[in-house]
Amino acid sequence: MSDPWMERLSDYLEDDMPAAERLALEAHLETCRDCSVVVSDLRRVMNRARQMDERQPHRDLWPGIAKRIGATSAGAQPIRRRWSFSSPQLAAAAVLLMTFSGSTVWLMRSAGSLPADGPIAATAPPPATVTAVNVRRNAAENYAAAVEDLERVLSAGRGQLDTTTVRVIEQNLAVIDQAIAQAQRALLADPANLYLNTHLAETMRRKLDLLRQAATLVPVS
Amino acid sequence: MTQFGFGAVTLEHENTGRPDSDTVDATLAASGDASAFERLYRHHVPRIYSLVRRMVNDDDAEEITQDVFVRAWQKLGTFRGEAAFGTWLHRLAVNVILARRETLGTRRKRFLEGDAVLEFLPARKAGPELAMDFESAMERLPDGAREIFVLHDVEGYRHEEIAEMLGLATGTSKSQLHRARLALRRHLER
Repeated sequence: MSDPWMERLSDYLEDDMPAAERLALEAHLETCRDCSVVVSDLRRVMNRARQMDERQPHRDLWPGIAKRIGATSAGAQPIRRRWSFSSPQLAAAAVLLMTFSGSTVWLMRSAGSLPADGPIAATAPPPATVTAVNVRRNAAENYAAAVEDLERVLSAGRGQLDTTTVRVIEQNLAVIDQAIAQAQRALLADPANLYLNTHLAETMRRKLDLLRQAATLVPVS
Repeated sequence: MTQFGFGAVTLEHENTGRPDSDTVDATLAASGDASAFERLYRHHVPRIYSLVRRMVNDDDAEEITQDVFVRAWQKLGTFRGEAAFGTWLHRLAVNVILARRETLGTRRKRFLEGDAVLEFLPARKAGPELAMDFESAMERLPDGAREIFVLHDVEGYRHEEIAEMLGLATGTSKSQLHRARLALRRHLER
C-alpha cells in the first residue's frame, strides 16, 4: 500500500482524474503488477455491487404497516384521512362492491342462471346470487345519491367560491366524467374485463373524492 | 394529455400522455386509498428492504422498512409525479435510514482509516456461499464506509449527493469508498 498510485485507483476507475494524470497512471499500470491486480479487483467489486439481488423481507410487513397507517385490513376500504362525510364514505365503499358484484353478475349470466336483461325477481328467501345483485343496485343508488347531494351543495355554494377554483373543479370534473363515460362504453363490449371494472370503480371514486373536497370549500352558512 | 385531478393535485405526464400505474396508485393513495398504497408496497418492498438491510444491520431492517412505508404514506401529499414514484420513495427511504441511524447510535467505528482496511475483514470463505460472503463482508464494514459503498456502488448515487446526504466532504466520500472497495476485493471469487 506504499505505492502512491494505489490511493488513486478508484478515481481512475470512475474517470475522476485529469487527463495528464490519467496518462501517467496508465503508463504506471503497464509496469506495476500490484496496481494492475488491484484495478482489476476494484472493477470486479464495482460490478459485483451492481449485480446484487433484491430480497423480500422474511415476513410480510404489510399488516404492520396497514395497522400503523390506520387501514383495518389489507386491500379493504379506502381510508378517509382528511374529511368526514359519512355518505360519500359509504358510497366509495359501495363502488368497490360494484366491481365485485358486477363481475358476479357477469359470471351468473355466463352460467345461464340469470337473464341478460329485464327485472330480477327478489322473492324471499333470496339466494346469495340475487343478494349480490341487490347490493349492486343499492350501491349504484347510494353512489348516485351521494354525487347528487354533493353536486347540490356545490351548486348552492358556487357563488361563494373563487371563480378560478370553480373553473378548476369544473375542468377536473369534466375530465373524470369523460373517463367514466369511456369506461362504461368499453364495458358494454367487454363486461367481464377486470381492468375496466376496476378503472371505472376508481374513476367513480375519484369523482366522489373531488366533489367531497370541493364541498369542503363551500363556507357553512 | 391525461389529467387526474384531485383538487389542488393535478398530475400531468407529458412523456407518455398517461400516468404510469405507480403514479395513479400514488394519487389514489394520497386521497386515502390503502389498497392502492398496498400495491405500491408490494411493488417496491424488495428494493427498499434490500437497501435498508444493506445500510443498517439485519436485525433492524424489517422495522425500518416499515418506517419507510409509513413515512411514505404520511408524505404522499408531497409527491407530485415530477420524478418516478420509485425514485421519490428511494430518496425518502435513504432519509429515513439516515435519521434512524442517529437513534441507533454509533455502535461501531464509522470509517476506515489507513491500513486498518486490511485487517478489518477476515479472509473470505471459499465454496458455494461465496455470494453471501461478499454481502456479509459488506455488512461488516464500518457504518459510514458501508453507507457510502451502498449509496455509490450499489444504488448509483454520486459523491456530491452522498456528501450532502451524509454531511461529509466529497473527498471523504471518495476516500471511504476506495477503502471499502479495497476491503471487499478480498471477498471476491477468484
